Amino acid sequence: MIELHDVFKTFRLSRQQKREMGAAFRGDTVDAVAGISFSCRPGRIFSLLGPNGAGKTTTLRMIATMLHPSRGTITVAGHDAAKHPERVRAALGFLTGSTQLYDRLTAQELVRYVADLHGVSRQDYRARRDEIFAALDMEGYADRRIAKLSTGMKQKVSIARTLIHDPDVLVLDEATAGLDVLSSRAIVDLIRRARERGKTVLFSTHRMGEVGQLSDDVALIHRGRLLFNGTWEQFSGEMQSASLEDEFIRRIEAADR
Amino acid sequence: MNTIITVFRKELIDTLRDRRTILFMIVIPLLLFPALFQIMFSVQKGQAEKARAKVLRVACLDEGGTSRFREMLRESEGIEIVDGIGRGEVTRLINADSLDGAFLFASSFADDVAEMKPGRVDFYYKSTDDASIIRDRLRGLIERYERELLDERFQRLEMDQSIVDALDLKSHNVASMEEQVGKTVGGMLPYMFILFCFIGAMYPAIDLGAGEKERGTMETLLTAPVNRFHILLGKFGVVVLSGLLSAAVSIGGLYIALKRSREIPPEFMEMILRILGWDTILLVLSLLVPLTIFFAGLLLSVSLTARSFKEAQSMISPLNIAIVIPAAIGLIPGITMSYGTAMIPVLNVSLATKEIIGGTIQPGHLAVVYVSLIALALASLWGSAWWFRRESTIFRS
Repeated sequence: MIELHDVFKTFRLSRQQKREMGAAFRGDTVDAVAGISFSCRPGRIFSLLGPNGAGKTTTLRMIATMLHPSRGTITVAGHDAAKHPERVRAALGFLTGSTQLYDRLTAQELVRYVADLHGVSRQDYRARRDEIFAALDMEGYADRRIAKLSTGMKQKVSIARTLIHDPDVLVLDEATAGLDVLSSRAIVDLIRRARERGKTVLFSTHRMGEVGQLSDDVALIHRGRLLFNGTWEQFSGEMQSASLEDEFIRRIEAADR
Repeated sequence: MNTIITVFRKELIDTLRDRRTILFMIVIPLLLFPALFQIMFSVQKGQAEKARAKVLRVACLDEGGTSRFREMLRESEGIEIVDGIGRGEVTRLINADSLDGAFLFASSFADDVAEMKPGRVDFYYKSTDDASIIRDRLRGLIERYERELLDERFQRLEMDQSIVDALDLKSHNVASMEEQVGKTVGGMLPYMFILFCFIGAMYPAIDLGAGEKERGTMETLLTAPVNRFHILLGKFGVVVLSGLLSAAVSIGGLYIALKRSREIPPEFMEMILRILGWDTILLVLSLLVPLTIFFAGLLLSVSLTARSFKEAQSMISPLNIAIVIPAAIGLIPGITMSYGTAMIPVLNVSLATKEIIGGTIQPGHLAVVYVSLIALALASLWGSAWWFRRESTIFRS
């Protein structure tokens, strides 16, 4: 379970950032996230949608406790993110499209390293490692250095390290960005299997096809504020455009007017 | 503790698999001293042999009448007398390397000598490193000539030569050989050790901070259920170990260089090896530990601020100078250990190492150096931990 209540994230701008905001901009700070609230429930897939710069990554980083909210509360798997960030991270599997792997380690060394950081016992590690490596067909390159792996292989290693501690909550930020069809399929399968196992899944994506295929719940964020928060059925029921992409653009443009 | 060890182990494996870090941490410190010794000795030896074997072109302008010195020159091996040169040309010809030296006798020389007055001789030469051998060869000739003249005078006056020696002066330097060598050789060694500590720590620090940010691997660590300070300590440990390893390897390189060198006289070599005993090395390393912790904190803070490996390198370059200057000040003669200098970071290690090697370190000074270094190391650790907790540092874009 993930719950956000009236969450704000305010960033202080550097001189250069202020210049980039344009002459019309006044002030020293910007609200990347401005009062958002939503809940992601176990056994359901929650899609967080929004254009670039909408505040998706900031929101997900706050959930993962990498960033602290300026205001509001975040609870993950029953733990308050501000009070018990380590407990939150223990319950969380975090996978992003931009997170890279340690090139000089082997696939196995990396997964073992993450398991050790999560305090996974040797016995549990062996069982989970065998299960995940077999499911993702990774045994053939388990001892190969990551620098020598293909993009698809690397993505599977990323998935393995995200799942090795069997997290209750999965947060995926643009995890399929830049991947080919086969590599994206591995992520989509991961999301489906997690739902089947009763995990809470929160993911952000630009691929509208994935949203339609996977989502149980949807939130649309723009300029740090929620434009929509509800079930996929509600979202599709309210659609005024022919396609999901068109509906996405329509809602964003309506908010800008 | 487990987390620190986990991070330390992983970062160490990662560091040891990076060729660039290995080059700066192990290869260069190990090979620098042997290579330096080899080049220094072979060049020096080659130049000296060349200067000794060279046939010297010498002008002897003796219109005043002293055929004896000209005769001595002619009888000497490796001397070619160049005639037909005017007095005004001497300097130009020596500068142009057409002449190696010139003796210009005053017109009154023969008369002055006959009257038992000093006869004036102007000796021209060009002094560079290898030319000191040439100068000594030529000066040896004129001094032989002077001795001949003196012998003649003493004989004429029927006097004993010892009459001119009013004093029988015998100098006794009470400084031990260790102390003398320590103050000279010992000045250079800390400079090298400090530099290697810094350079050895530099690349791992850049790689584990800015490198990790640039490669986009930091999130793996930040989303793990571990305390950020523990992550930092794991990284810190590897950076400190790299700096110390680099300094220790350079000591090993120095030892190999000394052992391999055939140019150093055995008794001198024995003394150097006695100076560089285990107790001295361990004491020097004990100073380098807090110093390297200080470097590690400084380097990691800068590295974590930078957005990329390249940016970190350019930010750290000025630090190199800030480290080299106090280390180099320790080389200046007259700068000695006091309670004041014992508190100046880097300079204190430089001076203390010199004193340790020379065997003259005072316990009080050493204690102040330790206290000052430990305080600095703790401040640097605290600073980098504070820096690592800042969102604006980690997510700086």
